[in-house]
Amino acid sequence: MPLISRGFGGRRRRDVDPARVPPGQYVVDDFPVLSAGPTPRASIADWSLTIEGAVDAPRTWSWDDLQALPQETFTTDIHCVTKWSKLDTTWTGVSLDVLLGEVSTEAAYLTAWCDGDYTTNLALEDVTDGRAWIAHTFEGAPLDPEHGGPARLLVPHLYLWKSAKWVRRLTLTEDDEPGFWESVGYHNHGDPWREERYWGD
Amino acid sequence: MAPRIAWRVATVRAVVEETAHARSLVFEVPYWPGHRAGQHVDVRLTAEDGYQAERSYSIASAPEDPDVVLTVERIDDGEVSPYLTEEVRAGDQLELRGPIGGHFTWRADQGGPLLLVGGGSGLVPLMAMLRHHAAQGSDADARLLLSAGRAEDVLYRDELGRLEGAAVHITLTRGAPPGWTGWTRRVDAEMLRAVGPAPSAGARAFVCGPTPFVEAVADHLLALGHPPAAIHTERFGPTGG
Amino acid sequence: MTDDDALCLDGNGLAGLLAEVFGGDPTGAQRSCPSCGLRSALGEHRAYCGAGVALRCPGCGALALRIGIAGERRVVAMTGVLVVDVAPG
Repeated sequence: MPLISRGFGGRRRRDVDPARVPPGQYVVDDFPVLSAGPTPRASIADWSLTIEGAVDAPRTWSWDDLQALPQETFTTDIHCVTKWSKLDTTWTGVSLDVLLGEVSTEAAYLTAWCDGDYTTNLALEDVTDGRAWIAHTFEGAPLDPEHGGPARLLVPHLYLWKSAKWVRRLTLTEDDEPGFWESVGYHNHGDPWREERYWGD
Repeated sequence: MAPRIAWRVATVRAVVEETAHARSLVFEVPYWPGHRAGQHVDVRLTAEDGYQAERSYSIASAPEDPDVVLTVERIDDGEVSPYLTEEVRAGDQLELRGPIGGHFTWRADQGGPLLLVGGGSGLVPLMAMLRHHAAQGSDADARLLLSAGRAEDVLYRDELGRLEGAAVHITLTRGAPPGWTGWTRRVDAEMLRAVGPAPSAGARAFVCGPTPFVEAVADHLLALGHPPAAIHTERFGPTGG
Repeated sequence: MTDDDALCLDGNGLAGLLAEVFGGDPTGAQRSCPSCGLRSALGEHRAYCGAGVALRCPGCGALALRIGIAGERRVVAMTGVLVVDVAPG
């Protein structure tokens, strides 16, 4: 049992509805920046998103293409495996249902590829039926590069490492292929409500 | 090696107000194995509900000092530094792990010349080196270039003024007191050249401070002709808070 | 140089974590980068904190080590060749 430090409280908020806080998490008001590498600086002019792999035909959207699709603005809570949670965050983006609706596939999984060398893997059932977006706007302003701008994947029902920043490609795969953190100890699925943080959880 | 990476309980023997924003904590650490100048410790704090925070702090004291002294600068919306600089008092106990870090260290028997370049609280591990240099009566050529905001932000100001055997240069980047004859700009190549020694002297350089400071200074030293292997860097990221 | 000072520490700052993995202090160990050929100390590598920690080559930014901080367990993936000098005695 670690020594309790007299008078130390830390910075987390305690006036929150515990039903909104997954096990082992604490709520913060700021938005910590975590990353596996330096912040990429992509220009919108060069930006594109491609869905490829086990599909009938790959599909690519430019920034303008993305903006022309049906947009959703929604408020959700986000949970990081490093134990902080941020409640009532507002995002605007395109649902993955819309994007995946433009390809035909029998694959069950995808790998998200991003600027930098980051990847993460997801089951299609975790990113469909209104559970995932390509998000480009946060709290009404263009998503900051530090937080994944121009656009990131957002899958708020899973730990935030699955919401891949700087996403550029979604490769549909027959088999599940562990990504950057999933390969070094982090849980393959990552449900914060079941506290699926690490292998074996 | 195992004892070094185990958490141990340290007792605060005294607190020393260094500046308006910084304080030194003097720790008694049972079975402390000793350290080298430049090393640091990890400090772990645990709240009553089990919440934990960890931070790394450079050891300010010389190896010759039986106590372990950490100097902490208060970061305004930090989580840990306000606690350490305002709440902690003599008699409190904290968990420490270390000493840690073999790459950013200097021992007097390694000799000189020694070039120490610090930005703000980056002075802390360099001060351990200077205190060790003094305690050993080393005759190694030692030079310190410190970049600080204002004169009142300079850590260990009186002690630096009294140091014999080391040349101390200070640049104040946010305003100088009346009568100040020193530099008042950011560290640049010209300043480093003026502090010396020349690259041909084979100095060992230690650069410590915020990341952009460290990287700029390291680039200047390389451009002046210091070999990469002679330049040791330690970056203080903003996660120290 | 990208404006990533919000993220970047170096291997020296993570020496405690590295000591957990290596059982001693590896910050002086030299790593040869397979991407750019640079030989540099682990302590000089640039560290990024995400879910776990990523250490990158100070020369080219290529990924050198990934360390998963998984409760009481550490999981490490490494590229390149690491040379550790063990002090006599």
